[in-house]
Amino acid sequence: MVSKSSKRAIKVIISNYNNLEELQIFFDKVYQTNYPKVIRLCMGYVNGDAAKAKDLAQEVFIKAWENLGSFRKESGVSTWIYRITVNTCLLQLRNQKIKKSSNERVLEHITEEVEENKTTYEVQLKSMYACINKLSKENKSIILLELEGLPQKNIAEITGYSHESVRVRIHRIKNELTKCVKL
Amino acid sequence: MRKIMITFENLQAEWNNQPEFNIPEEGGKIITKKVSFLKRKQRITNTVLGITAIMLIGFFFYIAAYRLDTVIYGLFLMIGSLGIRVGIEVLSTRKLERLNIVSNTKIFKEQLVAYYNKRIKTHYIVTPLVVLAYCIGFVMLLPSFKANMSLGFYAYIVASSIVLLIVLGLFVAKQIKNEIDMLKELKTQQ
Repeated sequence: MVSKSSKRAIKVIISNYNNLEELQIFFDKVYQTNYPKVIRLCMGYVNGDAAKAKDLAQEVFIKAWENLGSFRKESGVSTWIYRITVNTCLLQLRNQKIKKSSNERVLEHITEEVEENKTTYEVQLKSMYACINKLSKENKSIILLELEGLPQKNIAEITGYSHESVRVRIHRIKNELTKCVKL
Repeated sequence: MRKIMITFENLQAEWNNQPEFNIPEEGGKIITKKVSFLKRKQRITNTVLGITAIMLIGFFFYIAAYRLDTVIYGLFLMIGSLGIRVGIEVLSTRKLERLNIVSNTKIFKEQLVAYYNKRIKTHYIVTPLVVLAYCIGFVMLLPSFKANMSLGFYAYIVASSIVLLIVLGLFVAKQIKNEIDMLKELKTQQ
């Protein structure tokens, strides 16, 4: 659904472009450039489930289109789209019923596979996803953005925490993750 | 079992080595089409809800023109409580859609917590009153059902209503529990 405020916002941004076609071209460019980043981030939120990640990515771009009016060039498209992605993933908490115990089961299963010397790339990645899913939603967002190579200043801007707080958290989460992941 | 010393650099390398996802062709256009589709769907839902409400109100006044007794009050309570419940859900869904998704996560989380706090208050105060009004309305209709229906059909209506009430009660309870869990999870995240 497009709310009245979204319609107004789209009208505002259309006024910066000559017509709806130019707006569509701009959005296509945003989509093409950011889709890989968005889907990788979404994968981290849904335990590496590609189908769920694709649905989430679609939701992210729907919200991006609806909120085009809120985009300010000074903040950069990436930061803006990452903010929408993190919030959309937080919102999908209500639909996701992945219990902590299921993450434990995934990790136990991975341990068995490691013991059987099945140290494939997929097993390692699965283990990383399961460990990321054990983190709180906010720490998950922070570490996923860090893994995506975003500067800490931008992570602070997206999450709303101070740069210092983000730096300390990242240090702590890195330790937690390296202890948890089985390679 | 092999033990390997893991560093964050290993994990970063694993992350960077993930296979690339194919970018859907014309993905941007698909999204804008989907938005138009959702908008149309929303318009249809609003129309259907509107027509249903008008029909129910029309039906109520049609009946009311002929009789002014407990049947009318019973019907009024049942239709009114259903209408209030549907209205609350529609408004609540719209409010959720209007949360500022482009704000930073900290602010967005505060908005979500406020939203769920309000939902839970609604569940604890408004929902029991609505259910009570619905039940009172139904009980008020029972003498009329008894007088105008066969005993078998009357028993069927009473029994099926009780089952329906229990099923709906469980459904609402599950929804409330999910929302309380969601709120707890949001509040416990550091």
